[in-house]
Amino acid sequence: MMSIGLTEYLVVAAVLFGAGIFTMITKRNAIGILIGVELVLNSANVNLVAFDRYLERCRIDGQILALVVIVLAAAEAAIAVGICINLYKNLATVDVDTAAKLRG
Amino acid sequence: MTLDALTQLGPEFMLLIGACIVLIVGATAASQRVQWASPVALVVVLLAILATWRLGVPEGDTSIPGLWLTPLTYYVRWITLGIGALVILANWHQPSESERGEYMAMILFSLLGVLLTASANDLVVLFFTIELVSIPTYVLIALSRQDARAAESSVKYFFLGAMSAAILAYGLSFLYGAAGTTTIQTVGSGLSVAGHVTGAPVSSTALVGWLLIFAGLAFKVAAVPLHVYVADVYEGAASPITGMLGFVPKLAGFIALIKIFAAFDWTLPQSVFWLVWIVAAVTMTVGNTLALIQRNVKRMLAYSSVAHTGYMLVALLVGPVAGEGPMRDGVAALLFYVAIYGTMNLGAFAALTAFKTGQRAVETLDDIAGLAARAPIAALGLAVCAFSLMGFPPTAGFLGKLYVFGSAFSLGESHPFHQAVIALAIIGVINSAIGAAYYLRIVSTIYVRAEDAPAAPASGRPVRWCLAVCSIAMLILFAWPSQLASQARSATVALHATPTRYHAVSEDPDAANDTSPDDFDPGH
Repeated sequence: MMSIGLTEYLVVAAVLFGAGIFTMITKRNAIGILIGVELVLNSANVNLVAFDRYLERCRIDGQILALVVIVLAAAEAAIAVGICINLYKNLATVDVDTAAKLRG
Repeated sequence: MTLDALTQLGPEFMLLIGACIVLIVGATAASQRVQWASPVALVVVLLAILATWRLGVPEGDTSIPGLWLTPLTYYVRWITLGIGALVILANWHQPSESERGEYMAMILFSLLGVLLTASANDLVVLFFTIELVSIPTYVLIALSRQDARAAESSVKYFFLGAMSAAILAYGLSFLYGAAGTTTIQTVGSGLSVAGHVTGAPVSSTALVGWLLIFAGLAFKVAAVPLHVYVADVYEGAASPITGMLGFVPKLAGFIALIKIFAAFDWTLPQSVFWLVWIVAAVTMTVGNTLALIQRNVKRMLAYSSVAHTGYMLVALLVGPVAGEGPMRDGVAALLFYVAIYGTMNLGAFAALTAFKTGQRAVETLDDIAGLAARAPIAALGLAVCAFSLMGFPPTAGFLGKLYVFGSAFSLGESHPFHQAVIALAIIGVINSAIGAAYYLRIVSTIYVRAEDAPAAPASGRPVRWCLAVCSIAMLILFAWPSQLASQARSATVALHATPTRYHAVSEDPDAANDTSPDDFDPGH
């Protein structure tokens, strides 16, 4: 049986990162874009925890950074919902393509 | 960590406590009483300035885990709080009264984030503080005025900002994996311990981390290709908060870039040098070219902000150079320039805030036509700020450009890329000449063109004071720049130390890291 090592975790994180960026670029719905942001943030968390688990020189710091990232992601999600509600109040939609008044 | 060590964070605690009070009272008080939020916020910032002055220059104090109080902290405290006070003056009457408490609290939180970024000595703290700078600005744009355009620009700014923060986090995870430590002072030696002696090629993991971090921070400083949001966000947000958007995220982003470059001991592979070189050249060219074709003054100033980022990147590439005077040190020139830029940019936006056409805010060139005939003093203030943005003597903007490009031209032959840096500085000088065209268009519009839709004075005195202080400061700093320049110079002294010397300063980085998230809890 193949053993799971650091590389596998890094690949999973890279796939999450790519999926997150792809989601952010392609989604039209503001909440969909937020999901993409969360995927990228969690790819960082997977990296951090995997480095702590497998590398001799990394100990606890990465997990602390991962916890901080989780807390900030929650704060960002709260702001995101507030901003989306504000957009909905003004345009009656959360489709970001509709919000295209600003053009130079 | 003793109580004595915590008093070293006096200005930060002032801002934190003040912001919390303004936020809670502002949210709960009856709406007609919220108008004192602006004076209270101003008093909080002035108290923080007093605390900065009383504490004096910290000498590399690492007694608080995760933070490293250096002359850089001291310099950034002065310029952030000084310009922060002006930002509050410009926003004095801005949001509708019921939301002014929250609005002022968000400004204070954002300023607090910049102060802590300057002291951050840990990747965890650095990420946290960059977010502390950014998240309030998203709210500020949405609150700044009640219309669909502000809502749209806050959505655009938020999602691009959240994406860049996520990319930054991903990059930091690679840097941590390569170095094995999150303490910025020891990241450099961590990279060497991991088998890569400083000066030798850094590992590919660290390089990937560096690239992602640079991409994340390029958004904060509005560098090409992550500048696309700038014009829309500046146009959608109310003018006075736009003046802040040009300064606060840019300063925090450049401080973080300086810290990351210093962690690599300013020795990066050739490919990285050329990447930053191309980004700098393209940023100033694209910024100036797009600004030329704008008819909306706010969009014009937005692209001018992109162009100024390009000039600042030149100074970043020069890096810290030992020697006398800010003319030789790129980082000192950068720190000097960002303070000057923040002031003159805020002054220009304060001038726009001070007028309205009908019920609408002043935005286009037509709106400010013939302003000088109606309001000669305010028009003079705007003209001074425009000349300063242009880099024309006798204004401080000229000295800022002189220091930035001077540091590039005086780079010694020992520097491996000194010819490329000089070529970049020449591109910068050409760009400044191109940029003069659209700033002159603003000046000629207010002085020469006849008014078709006369702009009327809009808001009260504080905005005028802000404009007056910004424009007079530009003239005074041209005559007496030495105080600010020497502070900027001493702020970079710690950067000349080698990573191994950094290592000797902090006794036990691991023990320090374990408690670092506690620093932000006011209860401790």
